[in-house]
Amino acid sequence: MSNENNRKTWAQPWSYREGTIVTAAILLLGFALQAAGGGIVLRVAAFPWNLVAGLVFLALLISAFVLWQKHQVMKWLGGVKAALPAILGFTFLVLLMGFVKQDVEPKSALVRLLGLTHLVKTWPFILINLYLMILLGIVTLRRLTPFSLKNAGFFLNHFGLFLVLFSTALGSSDMQRLRMNCYEDQTEWRAMDNSGKTVELPVAIKLLNFNIDEFRPKVTIIDNQSGQIVLNKGKNQFELLDRNALDLFGYHVDVEQFLESSGKVGDAYFPVNEPGSAPSAKVKVTKDGTEISGWVCSGSYVNQPEALKLNETHSLVMLPAEPRKFSSELHIQTKSGKNIKTTIEVNRPFKVDGWTIYQLSYDTEMGRWSNLSVLELVRDPWLPVVYFGIFLMMAGAGFLFIYGKPKNGGTEHVA
Amino acid sequence: MEELNMWLDFPIYASVAILCWLAASGLFLSSGKKVMNQLAAGLSFTGTAFLLIFITILWLHIQRPPMRTLGETRLWYAIFLSGIGLATYLRWKYKWLVSYSLGLSVVFLIINLQHPETYDKTLMPALQSPWFIPHVIVYIFAYALLGASSLVALRNLFFKPTEKTITGPIQMADNLVYLGFSFLTFGLLFGALWAKEAWGHYWTWDPKETWAFITWMFYLVYIHYRFRHPSEHKRAMTILAVSFAILLICWFGVNYLPSAQNSVHVYSE
Repeated sequence: MSNENNRKTWAQPWSYREGTIVTAAILLLGFALQAAGGGIVLRVAAFPWNLVAGLVFLALLISAFVLWQKHQVMKWLGGVKAALPAILGFTFLVLLMGFVKQDVEPKSALVRLLGLTHLVKTWPFILINLYLMILLGIVTLRRLTPFSLKNAGFFLNHFGLFLVLFSTALGSSDMQRLRMNCYEDQTEWRAMDNSGKTVELPVAIKLLNFNIDEFRPKVTIIDNQSGQIVLNKGKNQFELLDRNALDLFGYHVDVEQFLESSGKVGDAYFPVNEPGSAPSAKVKVTKDGTEISGWVCSGSYVNQPEALKLNETHSLVMLPAEPRKFSSELHIQTKSGKNIKTTIEVNRPFKVDGWTIYQLSYDTEMGRWSNLSVLELVRDPWLPVVYFGIFLMMAGAGFLFIYGKPKNGGTEHVA
Repeated sequence: MEELNMWLDFPIYASVAILCWLAASGLFLSSGKKVMNQLAAGLSFTGTAFLLIFITILWLHIQRPPMRTLGETRLWYAIFLSGIGLATYLRWKYKWLVSYSLGLSVVFLIINLQHPETYDKTLMPALQSPWFIPHVIVYIFAYALLGASSLVALRNLFFKPTEKTITGPIQMADNLVYLGFSFLTFGLLFGALWAKEAWGHYWTWDPKETWAFITWMFYLVYIHYRFRHPSEHKRAMTILAVSFAILLICWFGVNYLPSAQNSVHVYSE
């Protein structure tokens, strides 16, 4: 270590000191560029320029490696002493993102200038990403020459991460995420992007039917004065109406009748199945020997909710039911001539002609009577490359799992 | 009252587990006899088994995976941590580690006994996915392994070990970190694949994702540092302890960060 301490900065061999300086310089340069640009939101060029830039980057990286393979600086770039400060520099930016809420309006001029509320689209983030890719690329090339199977785990971990960083950075501008509002029995081919711009699609979608399957509603106790839910030890307490008897804040609730879809006639509720009908329940509530019976109803966009007043302070209320599952039956026609009927739901998207159609939302005000289904259409042509990188990393993690730490400081398999 | 709330039975199962684990720790720490150690291992296994039975019944009862609330994840953590403690004992015979992990498991159970939360039975559609169980189990398992490795770190930071006595524990810490890190990577990538299916994008820098990524980076630093400087134990142990602090922010802290409002990952209480 004493040698290292006496060594002048930039004298070979480079160490953590140079690594820290380079990383810090990249971050400072990044923030300076960001501030100089007035805090603009950066975007990588779209196809084909991102592909060209990527290929040029790879060509430069590989030729630089071949030309200066033996150079001290190249060895340093492919080592831990450059990598650790770079990882920490990147972590620093991500930590900033962990504390500053992202994708919101900046609260101060400084935050706006440095781009702290949209860090992934700023110069420092892009530059440190580029630097990490250079380091990962070089260390991968170093371990590939000469080729040895012993380095398989190492290769999977480092090259996998390289591919993920590379493809997500370049692909970000080719990715399209659009929202489409589909009303029942209407055909739609226009969607909106994030900035609110309308985009016409090569895919036309007709919503045949929108379905919601709901959980039983929950009941809780509210304060008559404030109308707020009564807290128990600082927490809301709810009970799901899925059984005949339940206990809430010392009240015992017997559920005598539950109607999934009902309408009020006079003082009572009856099963009804028309738009706007809501769940209701006839309950008997007992506490300290007093007994109160009545109806509670969660209400809907046409019907008032009904609470059951228990005493001067408390009332029992039914909350709007939460969706268990919502799905859209779609008729999809494409410019390429495809004609498909399918059903999509959350976690079950449908792929057609490079577009993936997701169930996003619906008219939550109308709940299960919604005739609007909000779809999200995503096109992400770089996805196969990203996935390939992810699978390499998974295989690498498999190596870590099986072989663990390399023995005796050796470099086999992983590190 | 046919459908008795499952959590009403929790104190019974938890008390059995706590008693088993406390007795096991006591035996591990006090006795050198082989028979006593075997008895302790048996007791520690019994405690874990009781909780496994509880969580199985709970799972069947609430008809969704019990992985949604903080209380439920604490339960898994207690199970995994005690199991890992026992496994490392059987493999490496470190009695202090199994005692520590049993002690931590007891703490988690006591927290759950102190905070009998309302256990929500509903599960929003985005979470109803085949990815849900592997994603959460892999993560909790990673947390438990890394938690065990941080115990090694803390022990070595407080009881200054000699060059001779550190070799074994630090190797164990490395093994735990490599295993834990591989699980952490799987959890992260499973999450990305799931997110693509559910939300249309594999990575949105949601606060939980951001903190999970930070945690991953810190353990990455530990692995690289250990690789390059195999004999700088003290600094390595410090990095490991800091990494675990970051992990804890990711697990609990995110719920309280202003940057994390409206995150899909915030556990409901």
